[in-house]
Amino acid sequence: MGGHPFGEAPGDSAGRSAGEPSGTSFGEPTGDCPDDSADAAGRERARRRGQGELEAQVLAALHHAPGPATAAWVQERLGGDLAYTTVMTILSRLHAKQAVTRERAGRAYAWTPAADEAGLAALRMRRVLDGEPDRDAVLTSFVSTLSAHDEQLLRSLLAAAGPARRSPGHHPATGHRPSDEACGG
Amino acid sequence: MGVFVFLPLVLPLTALPIAKLAAQHLHPRATTRLLTLLSAVLGLCSTLCLALLVVVGTAQLPGNPLPDGWSDPEVRAAVPYAEIAGTAAIAALAAALAAGGTAVRRHGRVLARTHRALDGLPPGADPAVLPDDDPYAYAVPGTPGRPGKPARPGRIAVSRGMLRSLDDAERQALFAHERAHLNHRHHRYRLTVRLAGCVNPLLLPLRSAVAFSTERWADEEAAHVVGDRLLTARAVGKAALITRSARLPELAHFAAPEPGPVPRRVAALLAPVPPARGWPPALTPVGLAALIAAAGTAASALSSLNAAVALFLVLKAATPL
Repeated sequence: MGGHPFGEAPGDSAGRSAGEPSGTSFGEPTGDCPDDSADAAGRERARRRGQGELEAQVLAALHHAPGPATAAWVQERLGGDLAYTTVMTILSRLHAKQAVTRERAGRAYAWTPAADEAGLAALRMRRVLDGEPDRDAVLTSFVSTLSAHDEQLLRSLLAAAGPARRSPGHHPATGHRPSDEACGG
Repeated sequence: MGVFVFLPLVLPLTALPIAKLAAQHLHPRATTRLLTLLSAVLGLCSTLCLALLVVVGTAQLPGNPLPDGWSDPEVRAAVPYAEIAGTAAIAALAAALAAGGTAVRRHGRVLARTHRALDGLPPGADPAVLPDDDPYAYAVPGTPGRPGKPARPGRIAVSRGMLRSLDDAERQALFAHERAHLNHRHHRYRLTVRLAGCVNPLLLPLRSAVAFSTERWADEEAAHVVGDRLLTARAVGKAALITRSARLPELAHFAAPEPGPVPRRVAALLAPVPPARGWPPALTPVGLAALIAAAGTAASALSSLNAAVALFLVLKAATPL
């Protein structure tokens, strides 16, 4: 592969990145803009920031990349208050969640966002669900968690109620189903 | 006012039998409304009496902000153990207001954050399907418009993981359940009961009772909409089982055998439709429990009214206006 297929490729990125708003427009406004004077404070904040928030930020940065981007590019884009290894960890985690895809480019990986706005919304939703102890008092969940005893009881109740109908369109395997998106639209 | 001022603080105990029995014997809609009304009245009366005691309590403190006439011995004589009760009431009222304020603030924050998270999806997308493999489904209540903030309609947020594990009919049951939460504004009942629990901890059992009865109410609505109780029961059961398998194993329960909310909901759905009467027949345990709760609530309202009027009269007599 000659040259850099990713990062600040001249001609491609110049016009686009100039006209684009800053990366923070994607994530929730966090109030911390990269500022050298507040470097230590920024690091402290970064440590305290939730995983979900960092994931959303990294994903937002990738969305603003002109093409596949390296972890170093993402780190620079985020203002440098994150360690390179942190960025790599977050990217790997996003990859495990299938929110980004990667391809090998020389010695590094080039990352491309796979998650769209909806994926970002899901990450933010997870942040609320994981970070707010009071959520169950506000958002009414369809079901609450089961204890082991409840699970047994539930299985016997359902079994006694009749054999579970096997639905024609049931795919327990991974992958989208067209009707998932149809429900969302 | 005498000892009457203390009564509303303990009268919430009379609501406990009905909180325990209503779920089994009443329609969930009636249960929700009855228990929420009880806890709202009992909570208000209990707070009013705390406030009255605070007046008496602060009146005897030097440098109190109240008019001098209020620290008249006559005022203190109106309440037994005025000093101890008054001082304790100051702390109790402060704790109650702080807990209530925190609950309201958190409620607003969770709602705002959830709506912000869902903003990325098209506004018309209802249910909002989130591409997440973890199974979850939530009813997200709408928020009223305020200056600077647009009103937001209630939404259903459901993950792809949840949808994937249910078939089409079961999804309809799920959506009907969540929409019932939104249409009947169940979050208001739950917030009311929560605040009541904040101002008087004796009302805490009503909180879980109302949380359960709103779920049952939504289940009944869903069963009505899809026209199939067994299907609704299966949707609830399946969703709970996959949610369970997606979570980390929890700590062992030492005193297990009380069934949790989900098996009780499924069992109720597998049973016939509960009768939709508003008030249970008098000569049954649940009828008696309802009568006790009603009597307790009436006594609480009368006591706090009596105490308020008595204190008002004493203060009026003591203060040269």
